[in-house]
Amino acid sequence: MIGFDLTKEQLECQKMAREFAEKEIKPYAAELDKRPETAFDWNIVRRFAKANLLGLNVPKEYGGLGVDMMTAVIVAEEIGAACLGIMSAAAGNWLATTCLKHVGTENQKRRYLTRCCGGNALLAALAVTEAEAGSDMAGIKTLAVRNGDHYILNGTKIFITNAGLANFYIVFATSDPKKRHSGLNAFIVDGDSPGLTLGAVEDKIGLRASQVGTLIFKDVKVPVENLLGAENTGFLIAMQTLDMSRPCLGGAGVGVSRAAYEIALSYARERKQYGRPIIENQAISFMLADMAIEIEAARLLTWKAAWLIDQGMDSTKASSMCKVFSTEMAERVCSRAIQILGAHGYTRDWPVEKYYRDAKAMAIYEGTNQIQRMIIASML
Amino acid sequence: MIYKNIGKMIQKAREEAGLSQEELSSRLGYTQAALSNYELGKRRLYLANIEQIANELNKPLNYFLEDTAETAKAGQEKTQDEITSEIDKLLLELPPEERKNILEYIQWRKERLR
Repeated sequence: MIGFDLTKEQLECQKMAREFAEKEIKPYAAELDKRPETAFDWNIVRRFAKANLLGLNVPKEYGGLGVDMMTAVIVAEEIGAACLGIMSAAAGNWLATTCLKHVGTENQKRRYLTRCCGGNALLAALAVTEAEAGSDMAGIKTLAVRNGDHYILNGTKIFITNAGLANFYIVFATSDPKKRHSGLNAFIVDGDSPGLTLGAVEDKIGLRASQVGTLIFKDVKVPVENLLGAENTGFLIAMQTLDMSRPCLGGAGVGVSRAAYEIALSYARERKQYGRPIIENQAISFMLADMAIEIEAARLLTWKAAWLIDQGMDSTKASSMCKVFSTEMAERVCSRAIQILGAHGYTRDWPVEKYYRDAKAMAIYEGTNQIQRMIIASML
Repeated sequence: MIYKNIGKMIQKAREEAGLSQEELSSRLGYTQAALSNYELGKRRLYLANIEQIANELNKPLNYFLEDTAETAKAGQEKTQDEITSEIDKLLLELPPEERKNILEYIQWRKERLR
């Protein structure tokens, strides 16, 4: 049987996340978005930490909220509805902790997962992308050479969310570039490791509150005990981590779309032309109906992917499908919201143009939508 | 995709070891249904599961992963051989008159590419 009722725990978490998003994030979203430089703000991170939302999916035994994927997706929708940019900082933690939770040793989990929990306002990040390795992970050139009880890392990672801010990074490096996928390894690297420096910080059209930048590794010493999983299993680790994090992106896409839709709906009910609200014109009401249809469809696809993960099933195809559909739907819905608001929608006085700029990023990061289609196509 | 490929390798290694699903699953402490789902790629396999299976079947861990990464890559781009054999297969299913049309089309395409 299929049921769509949320459990009592999930409803409570949804309520908590909604109140948190309304009170702690939404009021700052526009201000941070409008700052001329990248507007990352530690105060926001402290708010997340106070609600223990940085440790959303960290098991309770390590101090996290320990929610299942279904609940995580519901929380992502609420926070995504408030600000995708601010959410990115927390999402960096969710990615890194998802990875650690599944492949970390007990010692690694005790040492690192706990840092993302409770009142600890500490960030984490996943570092995969390089100048010549994004979609093609096997092209990673950051080199990890074993030297006694350490690995020495050299290379440059680009477009890393929380770069220069994270307390620790999960870094993907190769033991031998010729081995391609089979030479990849994942390491936990402390943010204050000597030789690890922050390069350029990106100036982006959206997600302004999120810091994304370059990480430079120059002879960074990483203890052998910080290798994740077994040697040369980095490809599987990366794929599993991304499969299990994509539904949260789906949820965030639903969230930002919902926010844009609600503004458009209320505007259309109030804005009068020819002596009546514009929603009474089919041209407008049909646009709103399409928005509602697409948001609901994306939510269901996202929930299905999350459900598969919670059942321990392979969610690869469903995760990719929900990522593609939800993020492209978000772009369409936000664009329609701007259209409904007309010239108002195109100004920075209304938040819909920000939603649109933020939503665009989702079709690109955590595996472009073209890569998702390749994954789906290969599983048809 | 990944799990399907790993699952196939598990099945191959299990059969090489002369074990039935029932025998291997009982050694691993899994139900037979769970092992069957792993082999079919329906269940998510964690690294720890693969390590356990590798130990039980006396195979290195990378036996299950190396092929997987390559197959994953190959799965994204059909090889020329695969395309040719698929064309052959479909061609044989067509009536002779249709095959002639296809030949004319290929000749036309080839002409255009000159």
